[in-house]
Amino acid sequence: MAVKVLILEDNPVARSFLCRVVRESFSDANSITEAGDLETARRHISLAGGASGLHGVDPFKLILVDLELPDGNGMELLAELTHYPATKIVTTLYSDDDHLFPALQRGADGYLLKEDRFEVLVEELQKIVRGQPPLSPAIARRLLTHFRHGSGNESAPDSGFMNTTGFNTSRPVPIEKQPDHERLTPRETEVLTYLSKGFTIKEIASLMGIKWFTVNDHIKSIYKKLNVSSRAEAAVLASKQGLV
Amino acid sequence: MSERSAASGDSVFGASAFERTLDHRLPPRFIGSRMRLLVLAALLGCVGTFLVMRWLAASPALDAVFQAGPQGQLVLVGSDLPALEDRIGQHLVAVVGADGSRVGLDALALQRAPRWQVDDDRRVQQVQQQEALARAFAGGHATLVFADGQQLDVATPARGYAGLGLLFWPLAALALLLYLIGIVVVLVRPQGRNLLYVVMTLCQAANLLFIALESMRGLGLPPGALANALMPRLAFDLCTAAAGVHAFALHPRRVPHANAIAAAAWATTLLVLLLAQAGLLPGLWWFAQGTMLLLGTAALLVLSWSYHIEPNPFAAVMRRFGGIAAGTLLLVTVGVAVSAGQPGVPHSIAVIGSVIWYVFFASLLLLVPFLSRSKQVLREFAMLAGISTIATSLDLLFVAIFSLGQFTSLTLAVFFSLGAYAAARQWILNQMVGTSVLTTERTFEQLYRVAREVQEQPTRYAALLAQLLRDLFEPLEAVRVDRAAAQSLVIGGGSAMVVPVRTGSSDNPNRPPLALVLRFAHRGKRLFSSEDARLADRVVEQLRRAVAYDQAVERGRSEERQRIAQDLHDDIGARLLTLMYKAQSPEMEDYVRHTLLDLKTLTRGLAAADHRLSHAAAEWKSDLTQRLTAAHVQLGWSFETDRDVRLSVVQWSALTRVMRELISNAIYHAQATQVDVTFSLVGTQLTLSVADDGNGRDPQAWAHGLGLGGVRKRVKLLGGEVRWRENLPRGIVCEVRVPEFLAKS
Repeated sequence: MAVKVLILEDNPVARSFLCRVVRESFSDANSITEAGDLETARRHISLAGGASGLHGVDPFKLILVDLELPDGNGMELLAELTHYPATKIVTTLYSDDDHLFPALQRGADGYLLKEDRFEVLVEELQKIVRGQPPLSPAIARRLLTHFRHGSGNESAPDSGFMNTTGFNTSRPVPIEKQPDHERLTPRETEVLTYLSKGFTIKEIASLMGIKWFTVNDHIKSIYKKLNVSSRAEAAVLASKQGLV
Repeated sequence: MSERSAASGDSVFGASAFERTLDHRLPPRFIGSRMRLLVLAALLGCVGTFLVMRWLAASPALDAVFQAGPQGQLVLVGSDLPALEDRIGQHLVAVVGADGSRVGLDALALQRAPRWQVDDDRRVQQVQQQEALARAFAGGHATLVFADGQQLDVATPARGYAGLGLLFWPLAALALLLYLIGIVVVLVRPQGRNLLYVVMTLCQAANLLFIALESMRGLGLPPGALANALMPRLAFDLCTAAAGVHAFALHPRRVPHANAIAAAAWATTLLVLLLAQAGLLPGLWWFAQGTMLLLGTAALLVLSWSYHIEPNPFAAVMRRFGGIAAGTLLLVTVGVAVSAGQPGVPHSIAVIGSVIWYVFFASLLLLVPFLSRSKQVLREFAMLAGISTIATSLDLLFVAIFSLGQFTSLTLAVFFSLGAYAAARQWILNQMVGTSVLTTERTFEQLYRVAREVQEQPTRYAALLAQLLRDLFEPLEAVRVDRAAAQSLVIGGGSAMVVPVRTGSSDNPNRPPLALVLRFAHRGKRLFSSEDARLADRVVEQLRRAVAYDQAVERGRSEERQRIAQDLHDDIGARLLTLMYKAQSPEMEDYVRHTLLDLKTLTRGLAAADHRLSHAAAEWKSDLTQRLTAAHVQLGWSFETDRDVRLSVVQWSALTRVMRELISNAIYHAQATQVDVTFSLVGTQLTLSVADDGNGRDPQAWAHGLGLGGVRKRVKLLGGEVRWRENLPRGIVCEVRVPEFLAKS
């Protein structure tokens, strides 16, 4: 059975390039649907069973989403597709974690940098589909902060200067205690700490005395928790605003 | 109380002194009973003064102005009584009362204060004369006998309130004011030292009342007014002096053997008083003056000692005041002694001198509690002291010498004293509170300089502020305390000032509130005033503004940088990406990819303000690992630093590009299988070496294209040098060395 793939990318040259990458990555005969903006992508997804994918009528298995699109941001689509049973990958030029961390929180399974070489992209894509999420040191740092503070907003870095000028922002103290299932285990924290220092998965495995795929499992578990915690956050926010 | 212990530990001048200053930071408020006590005391004072006035007003008197003649005669110089108008210029020799008693008169009748009568016999004679006069006038009329034998019968009615004389009112008011200030001081802070101050003020207030009584114009005083004046006035004078010695032994600092010193002073006073009462002191005036001068000198010595132990500017200022008071007392004493026995004008001046001295001393006493309140108040009181002293002296002089009418003399006196005060004002102020060495110009210059420095280095705010305050006020000591203060505050009666440096923030326990306590302004020669506190507040405010401005500028810069970065990244990045996909050859594709990567490094560098070295190193390692793994090259990574510094944008982007370029060379040109990166930052020196095992040879012969030229340029930008050499057994080593990496930041 053919793997259904959706590629959302406004630049036609880049779109055809990504098509080549996808074809190269999977030997299965795959059917690729291309979309140039969010509107088109939404139409294709509703045709293939709706955003929740519950009807089960042959949903997309792989979705590549660009972030900057003519009619909006790819993040919106990611947020709509939290329950969609597909591997969602962000393809972008932005490699800074300010763009990528929110995408990961909204359920992206990985990201590809469009300027990478063809071979590199193919390899990365295969890794992601096999279930190895991306982790840069900066993202690992963000994850650590996220789970330590229980919320996404980082405290402002200490400017090294006192707050005399009057515009001090009093940080609200989080009232809700984090549920236990969103906490990281000590092992996971350790993995993240090593990652944030730039160690590779193989190095971490040898440092911690475990197999590399165990490290991988930890990372996957962290991502699951990230999505859960993001969803829990969204729920808390919604109930606060009287939406639920 | 932790801040107090911390502070006292830092103080060089002893813990007790410091605790005292901090303790008395806020005066207790007037509440309830104290307020009622004050009102009661004020009421009592008013009633007392009124009773004295009533007593004086009810006494019979002869409404005429007399003057001492050259031979000690009593010369009539003016009168409102029509009967006496044509007798002006005549000498009055006697008064015959209604009961027939005859009182012989001479110029002695004009001298009122027995306390200031040098000669014992004349004092007795003077008192007897006044008593006899009072009896003679008691009948309601009396007969005046003139030198030419003529007799004139005049009425001697009760003096009345209007007859109290122009001088009586200001003197009585001053006495009342002094009394009230004394009461307020002791009620605000009831303690031993303030009781001593009250003793002094009460004694001087009573003295002023006596002087007011003696200033009655014309002839005739209530019976007993002078007869009983000697001992009380002597007691008031000596008690004031003894209380002064006692007070300075305790304040501003308790000197060693303070109790013994105080006891000696009080014992001397008591002894002199007892002997005087028993009549055992011939030449009483000399004893009185001698004791006063002795006690005054003792007070000055105690003050000097106290200042020597702890250079509290209060002691310095008080010593200046005390010196002036004792000096003028000495002059007055000499003047009175010289003119004693000489009838006529010189004697009058000497007598006036003593009155001036009392008024002056009373003004000083009034000034003391307000020394640190404000220079404004100080100025007002200095003016009051100066004007009242000069006005009184001129008034009495004019009356005595030129035989002017009282109103004319008072007008002239006020006119002259105002002129004199305007001329000597600055000099007086400098003498009283010490000169300020900092001119306005210098103050401005320093404030400007420090504000600029703070703008450049906001983190040094606290240190720079402390330095500026030191320069401005030249305190002997500046202590940091963990105490929050809303604004600058003068404490310890002007010996210290608390300046808030920063307020604490609840969400940052590592930055407790901080305040600076400056002690002993101008090397202990000047008192802090509330104007100094306002100046300090302005300075703090100004520096905060400088920092806020700096932060706003930095925010603006950062926003602008981010906007540029965003535009570059989005527009140029997308075009380069398209160009890359459409590249005709792999070389072209690599070149464009390289350009794109450089663009991304550039924009990231623009968007972020600074990078931690540890974070940057993690990114480098992760990035290099990914790229080398894709090219199937092994990475050997060694990173060593003795501390985590913040890299500036320039440093971060230069190092990132240098590293990427060198790795690219190793991958694409040398076809290496192993790359070893060694990074170390020890002290200020940075060394980076990238060694490969590729097929590169003879680096000196290389043509430096865009890539290697870029490396050279960036290393030079960091202030270092780069060199390539052959690696053993094969490959190339590139070594980057920046000796002063951190100093360049």
